[in-house]
Amino acid sequence: MLSLREGSIIVVTLLVAVYFSLNTSSFLTSANFKTLLPYFAPFAIMASGVVFVMILGEIDLSIGATYLFAPFLFYKLAHAGLPLVPAVIVALIACMAVGLVNGFFTAVVGISSFVATLGMLFALEGFTLIISHGEPVETPGAQVTTSTHNVVHVINGVHVTLPTTVNHISTFARIFGAGVYSELIWALLVVAILQTVLTFTRWGLYTVAVGSNKLGAAEAGVRVRLVMMRNFVLCASTAGLVGILEAVRASSVQPDPAGANEILFEAIAAAVIGGTLMTGGSGTVVGALIGALFLGILHDGLILQGVNANYLLFYLGLAIILAMTVNVYVQRVRRGAGHD
Amino acid sequence: MTEQMPDDVLRVENIAKRFGPVTALRDVNLHLRKGEVLGLLGDNGAGKSTLIKILSGFQKQDSGEMFVHGQPYAPRSVDAARASGIETVYQDLALIDELSVYHNLFLRREKVHRPLPFLANREMKRQAREALDEIGINIPRIDVAVARLSGGQRQAIAVARTANSDADILLLDEPLAAMGAKEGSMILDLVARLKQEGRVSIIMILHNYVHVLQACDRVSMIQDGAIALDKPTAETSVEELTEIVVNEYRRARQQNAAQH
Ligand SMILES: Nc1ncnc2c1ncn2[C@@H]1O[C@H](COP(=O)(O)OP(=O)(O)O)[C@@H](O)[C@H]1O
Ligand SMILES: [Mg+2]
Repeated sequence: MLSLREGSIIVVTLLVAVYFSLNTSSFLTSANFKTLLPYFAPFAIMASGVVFVMILGEIDLSIGATYLFAPFLFYKLAHAGLPLVPAVIVALIACMAVGLVNGFFTAVVGISSFVATLGMLFALEGFTLIISHGEPVETPGAQVTTSTHNVVHVINGVHVTLPTTVNHISTFARIFGAGVYSELIWALLVVAILQTVLTFTRWGLYTVAVGSNKLGAAEAGVRVRLVMMRNFVLCASTAGLVGILEAVRASSVQPDPAGANEILFEAIAAAVIGGTLMTGGSGTVVGALIGALFLGILHDGLILQGVNANYLLFYLGLAIILAMTVNVYVQRVRRGAGHD
Repeated sequence: MTEQMPDDVLRVENIAKRFGPVTALRDVNLHLRKGEVLGLLGDNGAGKSTLIKILSGFQKQDSGEMFVHGQPYAPRSVDAARASGIETVYQDLALIDELSVYHNLFLRREKVHRPLPFLANREMKRQAREALDEIGINIPRIDVAVARLSGGQRQAIAVARTANSDADILLLDEPLAAMGAKEGSMILDLVARLKQEGRVSIIMILHNYVHVLQACDRVSMIQDGAIALDKPTAETSVEELTEIVVNEYRRARQQNAAQH
């Protein structure tokens, strides 16, 4: 099932991990594993959705905007009196509507997805600024409450009762991003489900068909518009989900379009690094997960190495180019060795 | 007007189709009898492929009517045409390069498991293998992407796709175009075999008149957006077909010269 492309990015990712293990004392620790999670789990989820759009040969530039929009809508809905889980569901349905609009303009009207989703990027970020009045909000259901209990300690054989503060996170928050492994579990779930859809269902088959030969797929009877719109809807919903998970994890959310657009590029980078072609027809969700892991390890490792914050992006960029070069080389070696 | 025949599986009346300033089809009348192989001829740009695409549900005519088994036939999609028993090999083959041979063979007719609709890949592979072996075309591995195959192999897969269906009307748009002599005769053998079984009726676009006389029961020629000739192959010859085309060419040239 694993194709050549992601096979080689696995090798490259392992090389990077080994490098940081040898060069820092703290890379291979469980504490660092937890630090690493937010650097890759959210991107893995978003990149999974992006893969479905990119296999079509299309792009969705509005996922950062959707990522930003979802938690603010969730906030509004929760404050309007909707219970938390229904508020999440309605917010995600609104994100799907955003995806449907993207898909409609791309597949039915015939605007290029680059332009259609660029328009959506600005419009939706603007809309988010309008409804949030540019003010940050506290994420509903994600507030940490503390309470004080009297706890009996045994000290030197003597029973002592001491007041102790305990932090409470709601079950909702624990599930939707605030639990230490919450985003990781979401990521693994989303990747497993979407890779299954891509490899083992007609949905996936038609996605590849449309991306590889749109006219031919249509001639064979594939409903090209439906396939395209469906994938834009899927992509937007993964972005909305991550937006909410991250808002819950941080317990507040800033109306920050610049940050959101950075997320957009990292998600697309994860998909591309994971072997999804910019030109369509080919890509895997597992690859996107590994691409996200690669970016996460790079980010985390560079910080552990004590790289100055000003240099971080610079090194990150160089490392991506270097890694993709090695990736191409590894592919060539494997192709030469195999009967491919 | 085509005369009404009780054993017509397909009838086309006064079909016209324009693309902006280009009139691809002006007034086409055509019929296909049960079990018959009809050769459709015509110059490049005569509108043959356009007619096929209208019949296959991929494009819609501007005017005119169609009938399948005597019933009005106005397919709104390729799926709808397929439901009426029509399968098509398009001139561009409509193959998906990135998909395997067997996924291409079953595109839009996939076998899936129940109740969860996962692709029944093993079943499709088995049937694809059988279908290709039956044609006799040499495709060693059916799980490779069709991008890796030769032009002739690709064309064979496109033909096998229709032959392997349970359609009773097959539309083959230049099924021999990319083929060598050996592959070409395999396809013609397949057509002959299908004809012998008597289940399907076929419209086939060919350019080689020898093939036409060998494989078809009847020929129709499109010229100037309408059917200019409709004859049983037994009553025509390579010479006659060639003459018609050459005369048409001369006439068109004189007309052109007169205009300038
Ligand atoms: N989708 C289309 N858009 C514009 N013009 C077309 C289209 N399809 C066919 N045509 C034009 O219609 C005419 C007939 O084309 P076609 O049916 O492909 O001819 P043939 O298959 O007989 O060679 C040509 O002039 C062609 O350029
Ligand atoms: Mg043609």
